[in-house]
Amino acid sequence: MTNAENTSTLQPFNASTPTKRYRPFSFSRIYAITINTVTELTRLKVFYVLLVFALVLIGSSIFMAQFSFQQEFQILKDVSLGAMSLFTSLLAIVATARLLPQDIEDRTLYTILAKPVPRFEYVLGKIAGVLVLLAVSTVLMGAAFLLVLYMREQAVIHTTLRQMSGAPPDQLADALRVVRSSAFNINILPGIVIIYLKACLLAALTLFVSTFATSNIFTIVVMAFIYFIGHLQATAREYWLHEHSSGLITRIFLAVVTLLFPDLQAFNLVDDIVAGTAISLAVFAKTAVLGVFYTTIYTLLAAFVFYGKEL
Amino acid sequence: MTDPAVAVHGLTKVFPIPFHRQSIVAVKDLNLRIEPGEVYGLLGPNGSGKSTTLKIILGLVSPTRGRTEIFGRDSRLVESREAVGFLPENPYFYKYLTGKETLRFFGRLCGLRGSALKNRINELLDLVGLSKAHNRRLGTYSKGMLQRIGLAQALIHDPRLVVLDEPTAGVDPSGSRDIRDLILDLKRRGITVLLSSHLLAQAQEICDRVGILADGVLVREGHLQELIAIENQTELIIANASDNLIREVESIVKRSNAELIERRKSTTTLERLFLEATKKNDDARMSSGEGATKQK
Repeated sequence: MTNAENTSTLQPFNASTPTKRYRPFSFSRIYAITINTVTELTRLKVFYVLLVFALVLIGSSIFMAQFSFQQEFQILKDVSLGAMSLFTSLLAIVATARLLPQDIEDRTLYTILAKPVPRFEYVLGKIAGVLVLLAVSTVLMGAAFLLVLYMREQAVIHTTLRQMSGAPPDQLADALRVVRSSAFNINILPGIVIIYLKACLLAALTLFVSTFATSNIFTIVVMAFIYFIGHLQATAREYWLHEHSSGLITRIFLAVVTLLFPDLQAFNLVDDIVAGTAISLAVFAKTAVLGVFYTTIYTLLAAFVFYGKEL
Repeated sequence: MTDPAVAVHGLTKVFPIPFHRQSIVAVKDLNLRIEPGEVYGLLGPNGSGKSTTLKIILGLVSPTRGRTEIFGRDSRLVESREAVGFLPENPYFYKYLTGKETLRFFGRLCGLRGSALKNRINELLDLVGLSKAHNRRLGTYSKGMLQRIGLAQALIHDPRLVVLDEPTAGVDPSGSRDIRDLILDLKRRGITVLLSSHLLAQAQEICDRVGILADGVLVREGHLQELIAIENQTELIIANASDNLIREVESIVKRSNAELIERRKSTTTLERLFLEATKKNDDARMSSGEGATKQK
């Protein structure tokens, strides 16, 4: 604090600022919280996760120079989409877990909620901020992956052209078609959208857990648990239904388990993409609707618990 | 009859202890009425229920029994907070935001935007003396500066009531004096101030009325001067008095059957001594070109 500042404390201010009437729902308040959350997360340098992703990509492409181009493209897609799924999930959990507890610990939440801001708007603003961050991260990772894939494809095409310079044109065209089809297929794009939706679901679930958690660590541990159960639950459910009768009580029990532990394996389309199997519109739509449904339900549950929370 | 700035009716707050049969009674059957334009001090030791009372008034905590109102509106309603600015105890805010960004964020939450918001931010930065530090992140602010930016955000939407929870806790005497001056300035502007404190000397300087809480119960309440005045005693402070004059005054006191209780040299306060000493030191440093900006 400087002396100059000390002496200027009693400057008069104009008290005629126009006051706005309170509106029960305001997009501009939610927008303010969303932008603030994005600023918070970017200034906390969570984007370093992207740097790790880039390193994984570069590392894997160097390692794969020794394989045939079909194997190379397959491994590149497998590693990149797998890493994308893992890093966006990690980012969703770690970035969201700290948002509420940190605001409570720093008492920032008191100052926000002491303004005319309904609690559900605060929750919506927070989750929207995380979803924006996840969207930007997914786009950047996806772009980096497609760029590396394109560069490798061009390198293989260049090598093929050189090696088959004397071959008949239709043989050369066939060879190039094989290279192109094994590099990029249209299924990659819906696959990336599903990866994003899985991260959104995890972010909303993390926010819900953090509304009643006592610390960040607790939230992250619970989410790690849910993450693993979520990947295993489909197999366990099938086994259970196979072994036991599928009566009403069993079905209700399984529905509750499915709500608590979302079937994350349903969002795993990487294997299909790598194998080149077409992802049908129906499968994509079903998975996308599931992702949006879970994200909405968990956000509403978070808003509900937070509404009654004593601060 | 106008609505009181704050009305608390039969307020009780009980915090259950998880897995125990006992519970903690933080506030017990509290009744308060704070008139518009007053500076009201809610005093009491740590754990006496001051912060809980303020949180209930602000709708952050729900009461077990009773109700609270702000300018006639139930404080559980979000719209009642249109009229309130709040500065919590030891606020941190978002360390990654600059002073200006912090005020912009809180202004937008209150529905301000455009040039109205911009002008309001500049006015408030001037008011709290942080114009020169507006582009610095809050992570580099000293505690006094954080309190002042906190006060600025509390005033962003031109509230009629300002609630301050321990506004000078942990702030050095100079920063503390700045905050006291700001509170007096708010009072001159007709803004009602409700503050909690356990720093009694400071509360004595600024409050019109005080309430003293002990174990969640209001044990005393009233106008400060009435509460602390000793009815049968009078103080005379005389400058340049000779020994003869003093002796004469003493003999008059004796003759009139009154009693002289104490005779002593006037002293300055430790706060004034501290401020004078540190001001001289700061002036010397400023004239030698040394900055005094505190980095955290």
